[in-house]
Amino acid sequence: MEHRVDLLKLSDLSFRYRSDEGYILDEISLSINRGECHCINGPTGSGKSTLLNVLIGTLSRPFEGELVVSEGVTLGLVMQDPNAQFIRQSIGAEVAFALENLAVPSELMLEKVQGALRRVGLFVSLDRSIQSLSLGQKYRLMIAAQLVFHPDILLLDEPWAQLDDSGVCELISVLKGLKDEGVAIVLVEHNPSVFGNVVDTFWQLDQGKLTQGCFMPEPIHFAYSQKALVGESYIQIDPLVFRFANHDPLFTCSERLQLYSGEIVALVGDNGTGKSSLLKSLAGMQPHIPPLPIQVLARQPKLGIYGGELGLLFQRPNRQLFEISVLEELRFSLKRFGLPLDNADRVLDEMGLQHLSEHSPHLLSYGQQHLVALASVSVYQPKVLLLDDPFAGLDHLYTCRVWQQLVALSQQGTAILLTSHRMLPHTPVTRYWRLNNGELLGEGQAADTVNVG
Amino acid sequence: MWAKGGKHGFGASEKLATRKSGRLRAYVTAISLLLVLVLSSSAFFVSDTYLPVLCIFSGILVLHGLLLRGNISVIGRVFMVQLVITMSLYYLLHGQSQMAQGMIVVLRILLAFIPGWWLSVSTTPEKIAQVLTWVLPAKWAFVIGASIGLLPFMTRELREIYQVQCLRGARITPKALRDPRNWQELMTCVVFPLLIQLLKLSRQMAIAAQLRYYGKTNKPTHWQE
Repeated sequence: MEHRVDLLKLSDLSFRYRSDEGYILDEISLSINRGECHCINGPTGSGKSTLLNVLIGTLSRPFEGELVVSEGVTLGLVMQDPNAQFIRQSIGAEVAFALENLAVPSELMLEKVQGALRRVGLFVSLDRSIQSLSLGQKYRLMIAAQLVFHPDILLLDEPWAQLDDSGVCELISVLKGLKDEGVAIVLVEHNPSVFGNVVDTFWQLDQGKLTQGCFMPEPIHFAYSQKALVGESYIQIDPLVFRFANHDPLFTCSERLQLYSGEIVALVGDNGTGKSSLLKSLAGMQPHIPPLPIQVLARQPKLGIYGGELGLLFQRPNRQLFEISVLEELRFSLKRFGLPLDNADRVLDEMGLQHLSEHSPHLLSYGQQHLVALASVSVYQPKVLLLDDPFAGLDHLYTCRVWQQLVALSQQGTAILLTSHRMLPHTPVTRYWRLNNGELLGEGQAADTVNVG
Repeated sequence: MWAKGGKHGFGASEKLATRKSGRLRAYVTAISLLLVLVLSSSAFFVSDTYLPVLCIFSGILVLHGLLLRGNISVIGRVFMVQLVITMSLYYLLHGQSQMAQGMIVVLRILLAFIPGWWLSVSTTPEKIAQVLTWVLPAKWAFVIGASIGLLPFMTRELREIYQVQCLRGARITPKALRDPRNWQELMTCVVFPLLIQLLKLSRQMAIAAQLRYYGKTNKPTHWQE
């Protein structure tokens, strides 16, 4: 029988951020061996990121229990957003960064860099700018930047949220290859089922305890009466060619698309197909594009002309929070648009955020900040609400709470257009627009869209 | 260079060629840095008589930058913004009599800006960092290089935060900002969130760099494009 040596072992490890708080990690044990793939899942705030910080040794406070890393074992980490991890501008320089720090002679770097890129199946010019890669390619590039120093353990933080389906397929294929080469993999993931083919052990982290299995969240039920398309048309997109100045067309649209009041339309397409650019164009804030045959609320889109009639949430909406309390954050737009301040309390009640009203928005969890940002737009009940990938990084519970609020808004007549890099079955989406192979297509009403939980 | 390239190792002559080519590029970057330093500071220190000479040099840099597919609109925007601000201040402080002097100030600021723009188009932050290690500790050079590399990302962040706050009704549109009472709002709802993002990003980058052995040696080597 083969003797398996632990690369890394946690024994009864406990951790809390403050001594007057409960443990966020409570006597957890885990051992990681060569060639294994572990997947840790659990709800937002369950301590997944803390566990990741334990593994990479970046905790700000000491922990109780034991963490043993075998001698010479090295770790590589790919964060949730690879864009926040790039240090260099070109592909070759990025992969070579670790080699530079290990003082590998320049003339030996090329071979190692090429080898790492081959392992992740990325065959591109080394001088090419990182910004020109798709998100899936960027993710593989960041893995290559780790593999170049031959880590024994590779940690991946929530890859599913950022990648489209083809990106996930590419990643799974790379992970299988790495496992065969003896690299141990630890995935921290909200949606573990998609990695079922590559994961050896699933772990659920909940209330500080780490146990084997997948976390199964309680389904949330909310009623939604689907509306017929009889409302007023708020957005009209006539046939167009969408391109940036001096660039090839990004996509074309050969039919008229309309968004009606009370609808929730999902604009679905792979990473890099132009979803976010279209959304920004609808809000009149996309630079470097010629005028388009688009009408939003019967006007050519331009930043600042809609007042409280148009709302938009970018990706990472916590970026827009700046007030000293959640309540003030919601009141900001009400004051500016001259609307009753009581709306803020009402929306906080509706969204179950009343208990946070006096909290600083900057001290909330990612999911809570996401809800506060949505509440700060919902509070003035815009006629059109645009949301760029609004469920990225959210677990099931927070996803459902966002849906609840979107349904409430649509029932009040708001037309909602949201982007996603995959279809959203069993959700309150009333119709899809598809961005596929450079074409923007509208679809009739999707068959199974009414959600019951 | 392509990742698909041969699997085989490099011969001694190829290694020597790589080393020579890398050294040559580093020297070119060093000369570029010196040129930028001299031209930018000259824009403020030379007398009005020599400004046409500087204009010719800057014109050459702009042409070269355009050949390298640099984005000329950045210069246009900088010119317009500082034209409005500088001329308004001159008009308020000195009246119409000093407007010509104001134009010269605008020209000098533009001439100081163009060499930096050209450098950003013609070289990469990591090359600049490599050259800076000749005169600065490696850590300082890395921080400067990484900061320059972050500028495009932070510019995008700034634009997106500004736009979304405009949509939320913030009084920060160009028209609203004509009133100095609204400048405070620009600070609180755009600059403050941007600083928070910058802090988060710098922490993430620090962790990412440390996990890739940053700081392990005082004499890191350098990737040759």
